[in-house]
Parts: sequence; C-alpha cells; structure tokens
Amino acid sequence: MTWSDYLPFWPFVVSPALWLALTLVIAVLVSETMVRYLRLPRIVGYIGIGLLLGPGGLSLIPHVPAAEWRLVVDLALGILLFELGSRVNLRWLKANPWIAGTSLLEALATFAAVFSLLTWFDVPGVAAAVTATITIATSPAIIVRMVTESRAQGQVTDRLLLMTALNCIYAVTFHKLAVAGMHGETGAGFIHTVLPPLYLLGGSALLAWLFGITFERIHHHLGQHEETFSFVLFGMIAFATIMAATLKLSPVLVLLAAGLITRFRRRRAPTFPPHFGSAGAVLVVLMFIANGLAADLAGLRDSFLLVLLVITVRGIAKILAVLALANYSGIGVRQALALGVGLMPMSSVALLLTLDTGTFFPGFASGLGLMLMSCIVILELAGPFLVQGALHKAGETPEVKRT
Amino acid sequence: MSLMPFASSRPLSMGVELELQLLSCHDYNLVSSAPDILRQVAKSAHPGEIKPEMTRSMIEINTSVRHEYAELVEELRALRDVVSAAGRFLNVAIAGGGTHPFQHWSEQKIFDAPRFNYLSELYGYLAKQFTIFGQHVHIGCPGPDEALHLMHMLSRYIPHFIALSASSPYVQGHDTGFSSARLNSVFSFPLSGRAPFVLRWDDFERYFGKMTTTGVIESMKDFYWDIRPKPEFGTIEVRVCDTPLTVEIAAAIACYIQSMSRYIMVEQRTPPEEDDYLVYTFNRFQACRFGLDGVFIDPRTHVQRTIRDDINDMLARVADHARELQAVEALERIREILITGNGTSWLRRTYAREHNLGDVMQLQAELWMGN
Repeated sequence: MTWSDYLPFWPFVVSPALWLALTLVIAVLVSETMVRYLRLPRIVGYIGIGLLLGPGGLSLIPHVPAAEWRLVVDLALGILLFELGSRVNLRWLKANPWIAGTSLLEALATFAAVFSLLTWFDVPGVAAAVTATITIATSPAIIVRMVTESRAQGQVTDRLLLMTALNCIYAVTFHKLAVAGMHGETGAGFIHTVLPPLYLLGGSALLAWLFGITFERIHHHLGQHEETFSFVLFGMIAFATIMAATLKLSPVLVLLAAGLITRFRRRRAPTFPPHFGSAGAVLVVLMFIANGLAADLAGLRDSFLLVLLVITVRGIAKILAVLALANYSGIGVRQALALGVGLMPMSSVALLLTLDTGTFFPGFASGLGLMLMSCIVILELAGPFLVQGALHKAGETPEVKRT
Repeated sequence: MSLMPFASSRPLSMGVELELQLLSCHDYNLVSSAPDILRQVAKSAHPGEIKPEMTRSMIEINTSVRHEYAELVEELRALRDVVSAAGRFLNVAIAGGGTHPFQHWSEQKIFDAPRFNYLSELYGYLAKQFTIFGQHVHIGCPGPDEALHLMHMLSRYIPHFIALSASSPYVQGHDTGFSSARLNSVFSFPLSGRAPFVLRWDDFERYFGKMTTTGVIESMKDFYWDIRPKPEFGTIEVRVCDTPLTVEIAAAIACYIQSMSRYIMVEQRTPPEEDDYLVYTFNRFQACRFGLDGVFIDPRTHVQRTIRDDINDMLARVADHARELQAVEALERIREILITGNGTSWLRRTYAREHNLGDVMQLQAELWMGN
C-alpha cells in the first residue's frame, strides 16, 4: 500500500461541479443581502454573480462547457415554460380579440423594426430576418420569476404572461422558418427547406398534446394530493424536455404548449407551489447563474452602437404597439406603458435560439450572434428592474411590503 | 350637517344594491380590478348604476326604482350581463356570496376616492376587513313616520332575511361554522346594530341632532344599522342580507321583503314595542350561526321554533299581498330555498364534492355569471 492509495493527489483534481456548488451558495447569499438592504430583484443577484465570477468577468471559476450546463438550463426553463403556459387563459383571446391583435402587432412591429435597422446596417436579408425573429421573444424565465416573486396580479400581469407565451411561440416558429431560408441560401434542397419547420411544429404539438392527456389522467387519480402530484409533474417535465431534445423538437414549444393545453382543458390553473417545489426552485436559481456564467459581452467591442440601437428600437416597437391598441383592448395609457416596458426582458429563449443558429452557421456565431448575446446580457440584467418597476407603476404589486 | 327632509316615494317601490366580488381567473382569489371593470362598463349604456366600493376588488350594482318582481329580475339580469361581459373581456370572474373564502384582508387595496380614504384612515384594518359583500334592499314609504313604523316592525323578521340570503360560511380559508359569517365583520363597527326605538320623525331628527353635536357622526351614512331610514330616497334600507349566489335569489328576497312590508302596512295593525328588541340579538345570532335551522323566539308570544318554520308561516300570511304585488313567483323561489337550502348549503355541498375552495369559487362565479 502507498500514500496515494488513500490520500488525495496534490494539487486536487476537482470536478467543475464543485465550483458550481460554491457559486450557488455565494449567489444566493449575495442576492438575499441585496434584497434585504437594496430591495433589488433576486434574479439580478444570481445572474450578476454568475457574470462576475465567470469567464465574462473575473474568471474565478474555470470554464464549464455549455453541454454540462445544458440539462440544468433545459430543465429549469422547461419548468418555467410549463408554469407560464398553465397560467395563461387561452379562452381570454376569444372574449377579447384585441389582445390577440395587440400580441400580433407587437411581434410584427418588433420584427419589422429590428429587421429594418439591421438591413440599414447592411446585414444581408436572411441573417437580418433570423436575428429579428429572435428579438421577438420576451424572456419567460424573467417574467414568471418576477411575477411569482412580486406576487403581482391584475390586467398588466395577466397580459404580460399571455403575450410572453405567445411571442415565444412566434419567435421559435418564425426563427425556424428563417433558418430554413438560410439553409436554402447555402444550397440545401427545397425539401430540406420546407420540412424542418413542419416537423418542428407538428412534432412539438403532438408531444405537447400527449403530455396534456397524460397530465389529465394522472391528475385524475392523484388530484387530491397536489404536493405528491407536483413531484410526478416534475418528472414529466424532465421527460418531455429530454424527449423533445432527442427528437430534435423544440423543448420551448413542447413545454409551453403542454402548459397551455393543460390549462385549457382544466379551465383553472393548477395550484402547485412555485416551480413545483424546492427542487424546481433550485434548478431555476442554477439556470440564472448559468446564464450569468455564459454571458458574453464580446459583441459590445465591435458593435456597441448596433447593440444599443437594437435594444432601443425593439423596446420602442413593443411599447408603441401595445399603446396603439390599449384603449380597444380595455387598459389605460399607464397600464399600456407598463405592459410595453414589461415585455422588454430577453434571456433564455433568445439565448437558446442564438446558440442553435450558431451551431449551424459558424459565421453567425461570430458576428450577429455575438451582437445578440450582448443584447441578451444587458436585457437580462435590466429586465428584472424593468418588470419590477412596470408592475409597481401599474399598481399590481401588494401595497404592504413584508420583510 | 342636519338631517335631510324625508323625500316622498311611492309606497312599496323597491331598489336593490348588490356588492360583488371580482376574481382573478388564475387562482380565483380577489383581484383589484374595479377600476378596469368600471372603465369597461362605462363604454356602453346600461340600466341602473355600477359603482366602486370600499376596496378595489369589489363593485356595486344598483337597480333603478322598481315595483314588481318581473321587472326587477329583468333589470338585475341586464346588469349582471353587462358586468359579466366586462369581466370576460378583462379575464376577471365575478361572483356573488357574502365573503370570499380565502382572500387575505391585508392584501386588499382601498379604492382611491375621498370617502373610502377617509374611512380607511378612521377604521384602519377594519376597512380592509370590510371586504364583504352584501345585498341592500330599499322599500319606498309614504312618509317619515310610516318609515320608522315599518323599520321597527321589519326588525323582528331580520332573521328571515339573514337565513334566506346567507352565503358566507368560509372566511380566511376555513369553515367558520356560521351560515352568515359576513355579519360578524359588520358587528365590529362601533355604530352597527339597530336603530334607537323612536317612532316619530321629529323625535328621530332630535336624536340625530344630538348625535351630531356629540361629534360621533356626520351623516346617516355613519350608522351601520341593520335597517336604517334613507331620507333622501324616502325609503328604509334593509342591510343584513349577504349577496346571494344568483340575481334571481336577490330579486326574490327583495320581493319577500316587499310583500311583508305590504302585510305590515295594510293588515298588521299592532304597533311596535321596545320590548320586541329583547330577543333581537339572540334571534339575529341564531340566524347568522345556524341559518334556516336557527331558533326563532317570537317577541310577543315567546314561542320557539325554527326560522324555517317561521318563514313558512309568514309565506302563508303574505300570500294575498304577494298576489297584489305580482310577486307570487318570487315567493315560490323563497319556498324552494326552504327546501333545497340557502347559499351556504350550496357552498358546503360544493366544497364536500370538490375539496378545494378555489374550485368552489370558480363554480360560484360560473353560477353568478350565468354561463
């Protein structure tokens, strides 16, 4: 027997997971301090610590390959998307078609504004279209997290959730179409241009529908024990997320649609604890930290002006579109402004779409992709403040602040 | 401020006020959407009035002056349809019932209007706890002395109105065991209870004058009595009912009060006595606690029987008057309540089936909105 049989090697060989565990502890401690003394949204702390300690900041934490993160990020995003979907009442669109109109106008205006801006900067048409579709999406992660954290309720909150769910669906769908167009340009056959979006939409819808049916069945038997049931649901979400990735479908679409279908069939939102309990909540926190670690501000060096302009133009398009139809859809100017501002955050969904585009087109990853990453980082850090301010100005957060 | 002169109104005309709950379609908790709903209903013409109430999660609908059951129920249905349509447009559900089963009073927000801000300032948390929902019924009186007479005679039958309309067993997530828990919130106000035993209007004016000089009150609105005169309308206002689960029951209860008022004005010749009030709080408590099964002690004969039996007896006595007032159908509905139970029994049955107050609230809203 030798020393090395029972004593560790020096220097230690540690798995990257150790650093992540440490980051989690630090991030949560820092966030709680920030909430207590500065009344800042917690998410900012999670993302901020990730950004500060990660390769984008002080580089205290060794680089963790994105693939190791992917499962955590996908699962957490799946939970948040399902939560978002199950909070959205699709019947409302029938009772108030002006909301559907506002949502379409908002998405169209965002696309048109960003697309025109990019072509004005001499970006080729298809690439500009792909980028513009990504900017349609509002961050479901930030919206759900902020609504849960601030316990907001009212017209702006309900519309913010509904319009976020819808614009994520538009973004994923049209992004796939635009990417197919890009393939067409690089010489893929017609059939390989048309089939991908069809497969994505049809397959995702089918998987979501199966999820909804299964949910119904299990809930019928376990319904009385909502807590036990939330564990089952947790497993179902993980299954659906991984299955979607395996089948090369969009986990975003599948989970969002699954939530929508469940809610539509049950008529009332299921009463689960936020993020389906503490395990879900930990994943969500880890996701925000991971987003911070993955943050890449390199794009700011080359295209500082363009990043600022995209953010500005995108924000203005969303605010003006909501304002234009506010009166018809039954909200006042103050509420419309709050809703428009609330739609501005970008994070995980846009990040996933950007990364996906980059894997197919390396040119995109080093050019427009970097520019988009900078937009995402900025709107991810500013997003929680914007949503918090908007919900507060709209008078939808509780008056009594509890400590 | 002195008391207004008693306006003239057509005897036995009626008006109904209902306070309604505004609910989020997400979790069926109360939602502060009154300003949104009021903005939406203001866009189109509607009968009666739709007004804000103390907290932003409630609104009030008022009918115009009505004389018969058919026209009253028609106007109430029209008002219900207007607010329900606005609710659907804004993803807000609307429901009857005297309390919300699981709202938290501290989360309620005061509606921004001078009177509500003043009351909130004065009563503190009581104002927010006042997020309860009642039905008020106005009955027209030929003159002020007749109004006081009717008020004291009707006081004996307050338990009838409480038991028939009771629909508030659940408060803050629990079954209180009460049929109408809502009235417990009213009793905590310093000026609640019954009006002083005064039978002539000039005596009442003197009482009011003394109360104003003490500085305790400024206007009639500061009295939270179970029944109070409303001089500017020329009516007395019965304020003990919970908002029932449907507008049809609300109209039926209003017409039951109307028929009984006609019986008191035309047929019942005995004058009210101060000793009638000896059993008042006991009877009222029995009605709040046990509903139709509560004990009713007759103030004159001291005979004890259930409130249900006393209502049955009353239905027989007022039948002719109801026929005169075209309120026969209304009394049929009252008879149905005696058999199938009041709103509280519906709520308890529904909870026993659903095991979840959120689901109960959803069904309660669907029942009220008529879908």
